[in-house]
Amino acid sequence: MGFLIKFLWVIPVLAVGMALDQVRAAAPGEVRFGVHVRPLLSHYCIQCHGPDEGQRKAKLRLDTRDGLFGGSGDERIVVPGKTAESLLYQKITSHDLDDRMPPSETKKELAAEEIATIRRWIEQGAEWEGHWAFVTPKRSNLPEVEHRAWPRNPIDFFTLARMEANGLEPSPETDRRTFIRRVCLDLTGLPPSPVAVEQFVSDTDPGAYERLIDSLLASERYGERMTLAWMDAARYGDSSVFHDDGVRYMWPWRDWVIRAYNDNKRFDEFTIEQLAGDQFENASLDHKVASGFNRNHGTTDEGGLIEEEYRVEYNVDRVKTTSNVWLGLTMECAQCHDHKYDPISQKEYYQFYAYFNINSDAGNQTRNGNSAPMVKVPSMAESSELQQRRDKVAAIKSERAKAKPTEQEMDEWIADNRTNELPHPPEFGGWQFLGSFTGKDKNQAFNKDWGPEKKVDLAKGHGGKKWEARTYEDGKVHTVAIPDRSAAYFYRTVKSSMMQEVAVSLGSDDAIKVFLNGGQVLAKNVDRGPAADQEKANLKLAKGENHLLLKIVNNGGPAGFYFKLGGSGLPENILAHLRADVLKAGDITQLCDYYKKSVWPLGRELDARIKSAEKAVTDYDKSIVTVMTMGDLAKPRKTYLLERGHYASPKKDEEISPGIPAVLPALPEGAPAKRLGLAKWIADDDHPLTARVAVNRYWSMIFGAGLVTTVSDFGTRGALPSHPGLLDWLARDFADGGWNVKRMLKQMLLSATYRQQSAATAEQLRRDPENVFLSHAPRLRLQGEFIRDNALAVSGVLNGRIGGPSVKPYQPPRIWNEVALNGGLFYKPDKGAKLYRRSMYTYWKRSAPMPNMMAFDAPTREKCVIQRPRTNTPMQALVTMNDVQFVEAARVFAQRVLQQGGADFDSQLDYAFMLATARPADELRKRVFRNLYDSQLKEFSADTKRAGELLKFGETGRDESLDLARHAAWTTVASAIFNLDEVITKE
Amino acid sequence: MIPLFNSDHLLDRRKFLNLGARGMGALGLASLAQPGLLNAAARRHGGALGDPHFMPKAKRVIYLFFSGGPSHIDMYDYKPGIRKVHGIELPDSIRQGQRITGMTSGQKSFPCVAPMFEFKQHGQSGAYYSEILPHIASLADEMTLIRSVNTEAINHDPAITYIHTGTQQLGHPSMGAWLNYGLGSPSDNLPGYIVMISKGRGGSQALYSRLWGSGFLPSRHQGVKFRSSGEPVLFLNDPPGINRDSRRAILDSIKAVNEAKFAETRDAEIQARIAQYEMAFRMQASVPELTDLKSEPEHVFDLYGKDSKKPGKYAYNCILARRMLESGVPFVQLFHRGWDQHGNCPRDVRYQCEDIDQPTAALVKDLKQRGMLEDTLVICGGEFGRTIYSQGALTKDNHGRDHHGRCFTMWMAGGGIRKGHVHGETDDFCYNIVRDPVHINDLNATVLQCLGLDHERFTYRYQGLDQRLTSVQGARVVNELLA
Repeated sequence: MGFLIKFLWVIPVLAVGMALDQVRAAAPGEVRFGVHVRPLLSHYCIQCHGPDEGQRKAKLRLDTRDGLFGGSGDERIVVPGKTAESLLYQKITSHDLDDRMPPSETKKELAAEEIATIRRWIEQGAEWEGHWAFVTPKRSNLPEVEHRAWPRNPIDFFTLARMEANGLEPSPETDRRTFIRRVCLDLTGLPPSPVAVEQFVSDTDPGAYERLIDSLLASERYGERMTLAWMDAARYGDSSVFHDDGVRYMWPWRDWVIRAYNDNKRFDEFTIEQLAGDQFENASLDHKVASGFNRNHGTTDEGGLIEEEYRVEYNVDRVKTTSNVWLGLTMECAQCHDHKYDPISQKEYYQFYAYFNINSDAGNQTRNGNSAPMVKVPSMAESSELQQRRDKVAAIKSERAKAKPTEQEMDEWIADNRTNELPHPPEFGGWQFLGSFTGKDKNQAFNKDWGPEKKVDLAKGHGGKKWEARTYEDGKVHTVAIPDRSAAYFYRTVKSSMMQEVAVSLGSDDAIKVFLNGGQVLAKNVDRGPAADQEKANLKLAKGENHLLLKIVNNGGPAGFYFKLGGSGLPENILAHLRADVLKAGDITQLCDYYKKSVWPLGRELDARIKSAEKAVTDYDKSIVTVMTMGDLAKPRKTYLLERGHYASPKKDEEISPGIPAVLPALPEGAPAKRLGLAKWIADDDHPLTARVAVNRYWSMIFGAGLVTTVSDFGTRGALPSHPGLLDWLARDFADGGWNVKRMLKQMLLSATYRQQSAATAEQLRRDPENVFLSHAPRLRLQGEFIRDNALAVSGVLNGRIGGPSVKPYQPPRIWNEVALNGGLFYKPDKGAKLYRRSMYTYWKRSAPMPNMMAFDAPTREKCVIQRPRTNTPMQALVTMNDVQFVEAARVFAQRVLQQGGADFDSQLDYAFMLATARPADELRKRVFRNLYDSQLKEFSADTKRAGELLKFGETGRDESLDLARHAAWTTVASAIFNLDEVITKE
Repeated sequence: MIPLFNSDHLLDRRKFLNLGARGMGALGLASLAQPGLLNAAARRHGGALGDPHFMPKAKRVIYLFFSGGPSHIDMYDYKPGIRKVHGIELPDSIRQGQRITGMTSGQKSFPCVAPMFEFKQHGQSGAYYSEILPHIASLADEMTLIRSVNTEAINHDPAITYIHTGTQQLGHPSMGAWLNYGLGSPSDNLPGYIVMISKGRGGSQALYSRLWGSGFLPSRHQGVKFRSSGEPVLFLNDPPGINRDSRRAILDSIKAVNEAKFAETRDAEIQARIAQYEMAFRMQASVPELTDLKSEPEHVFDLYGKDSKKPGKYAYNCILARRMLESGVPFVQLFHRGWDQHGNCPRDVRYQCEDIDQPTAALVKDLKQRGMLEDTLVICGGEFGRTIYSQGALTKDNHGRDHHGRCFTMWMAGGGIRKGHVHGETDDFCYNIVRDPVHINDLNATVLQCLGLDHERFTYRYQGLDQRLTSVQGARVVNELLA
């Protein structure tokens, strides 16, 4: 054990001056710049002597080699081997408090051992190292180990070497029951079935472990599990975040991610498509959907907003999320000024920002649905339905194009219409009168439907008025008594022996509307006296009975109307031909064309069918969900550095072009200056950060903490890797092995490191309380979604449907309304099977997220979160004890156990524990739960009403053949099981 | 010294203390805290600090937050000359080209409106209070009125997020979460940070769980929302058919198995879980007791006014808040909604004040009578103020006011706060600050000061930065507000 480690144990923890991460990476005696010294400079000095030019004091930089070894004469900052000549050392040890660094106003003070570290580094020759994470990883050699029989794959050489160097031994392998539950939870978030457990336990073949892992990686549950973690990073939500936090539809993007994981899409492609899928040449629908990654951020719809402020905010979020997730860089720190710790200037920030700044989405977006740019995302079934509907339109159109009236029927029509008389005049019924209806003013009287406008029913009165028969002779002006500002209706039937169009001539005092068969054909809001032929209307009569309704509105004074059948209703040019004495050939063609287009009954029927088929296409198309995507402006917007990061302060003297920080490898020659270029650069095999950050994230998913514990900060203020060699080996292997995610995970899961038991010995806890050296497996409380999913799976109610719109399971009342804009929004839980979907599909409203999940550390997802905290609170106990979702699951679980677990309590309990923990109950558990069961059975037998209440909680019905008291007593046992540490923990 | 640990991987203080601290929250401050400042009786547990940085003047906070933007002009920021500006166009020399919201930026005219209420001077300081705040006015000698609070935000969502978390950026902890993280709570059976919401009259702007959220701090520090209907705390009630005896029996069985598991694995997390289940059990008894006002004598209801027996009303919540503070809850925040008077300002500000005036004053007086005011910090205000100019038409008896962040009024009273003082001054148009500005981050720094915390040292390492409630841009403690 190195002396620093020993040192840690002898003084109280709170007084230790060294970050543990530095300690654990220390080689005995040797002080390394990157490991030991840079973190000190970073903490104490870099804020004033670092990359931020605006803050830099005395023109001194300590974050670069030139700065650190610069100066001249007596003023040299660091002189290797000579503390007395090194100004740095003199300043931090000065007895003159005014001269001493860091200055007192920073409220920071170097501890004695920290000063000693710097002294030793200088004495040992002050060797410089670049920041480890900005240098492309090399494939590390496997370290030497003593216990050579232990490693199962390369990972184990690295972990074992660290254990051995620190006086630790690996733990024994865990038993198969624990293993299968552990690996199922890690890869699918769900427990194994008892059948799968028994099969694995009895499979003594050495390949059993690999086969198990392969089968889990092949399960679609794997994609769901991986996607849930990605949803936190991608700040996925079903609502818009700011202001009203209204609904949006990004779930097709979420489903794309599930498919991508299940198809084992290479991580580099996964990256490029999500960052720039829209910019692919001939981008497919899937590519565009993938680009929705950077549309998951919050958007606003607030009335008073200044659009530019939010448009900038969206791009700021994209820079933060993209750099945190893929690069482990805190680029966001350079929005307002140069980064204080990492070598990222403010200008470089805006170069990165420039890639996103030309996106075409607006600052003001919607509170109801999606905002452009977006694409429609039909499902297979929807695509085929839509195609069928389109085909139908095409079919009718082609039928219409081919159909022709016979020459005979055209000739007959021409012959009939050569006379001035209608060939088949319609028959008019007698008039019926309804009225009058007085409005607030004449316009209201005119505009309002007082009852019969959609459909006339002579038996039905309106507003106390009834229809009455009246006689008005056609072709005369009639005076009718209608009060001022009032409407009256006149109705008659029109019988036609054929489908035809006829014209009527009308007059009115004052305003008039004409309806035929419930559709308006004329509306004229005028002031006048009645006269003949003031208006003309064409009536398209159907064969049989038609319904004609006139509405006359009297604005003031006398009132009346005029009505006369006015002939064929044909247009003037057609009538001219028909009246002509001599018909020329061209005239006949025109008449035939007119007939075909407007008169021919079959043609008109086909036209009507085309119209309705087209409407069916439009309606269906509207119902297809969209997803928001990235998409650049046709004419790019210019990017400028924003002073103090403020949207209204662009420094217009210099336009900023897209680019990446200079400390990282350069963009390849000719890389396109758009997101696609950035995405390909990020996904390059030799990028120093991308592969490291990704494998570290997988490691932390499985082992509970990353090899770099600051999973989204690989900068100079981030933690140093606990196993630098292993991190680089994994990163290299990942990139060189085709960015194969399943293969990477499989490697971790097949390691001896992973197979260890999770119980720790007193010695392990004493030597390595945080298990930095991985001498046992972690015990980790499951994340909230998996605690709920497990309860659903164990009880048997889990609905396994994958993907689709988000669902609304049980939620206590008034959660939304209490905070919603004007209190107007209420949560309506779904019914039936949707209550039991996997938790990742729960509708995620980001201003008021699901409370049972929030209790278990679910982030609101307003911002990107890469690692959740893991807390332990009384609120969590209340959720799993009392939430209807868990109580209902417990009673269904109890029912399952009573139905399938055998006749006696012990075998039932074994079955229950097999389902919940993958192993039968031991003697202690049997004793404890038999006591609980017996005591509760006694209580519930004495009070079956209480039993009945418990068994009604939640929507699912129960098997009424089960004894109430037994079922209720078993429900208390089932609920207790759901609350056991070993059930909510991956062991 | 360097903060010990990076904070992206969060465990539990217990683990930290018992076992060491890989990945624990940044506790640089812990080593700077002076032990023994608090006597044993007042000691809190669960706080990352252990002890504050220096002797606190306040041990608990009641934060009365009126969301929507209460009109400082109609309530507090009066000067006799204000009548002279009525009806005149807002001068460019006052507006200074400053941005205004999209709701009024298209207006052709910006007629100024003097308050349509009478104002009178109260107390030793002679501070003016509106006639619609007669009860609060009677506190003039208890409080410091700050007329120069200001924020850069001009719309609700950013402004309310800013004042609660110190930044308009999302993802940061609220003040209550910071305090809960740093100081913990002396209560064994109640949450250390409680939030209650009441409606005003008419429409209201949205609230967000982030306003009492824990941001990047461990989520157990988030505020627990108490509710006026149904269960007072979510999931508190046992399910139907489970009585207290059954619950105890179930808990005993869970505990027995968990203890066996601990013996087998030595995982300290299990011990913590056993303790949390016991706390949950205690909360099931203590919360209903706390929220049952039956034991309150009639004269208390008289003190808090006509709404004080109506669950869900602000007055009712004020009584609950006092009971919480008495029971050891160190941070309680009441939200009262509906303060967004774009139109009908004279009528609706009066209505809103009717809701809050008497109960607010009653709460302060009640605390005083019980000897608690001297170590309870009372904070009262909203996310911004309102414009001097009318939104929409100005008529004889009606007008609206738009959002205004350049100056607005808040007040504080109790633990550590100067009595009977007015701080800051605005111009003749109540538009710009002419003396002693107090940025909302200065205000928050001052609040921390009252609680014994140096806002610059009270930090948490997240994403490479030592984050503060008062933002990294700097803020100052306003000593002039302090006793």
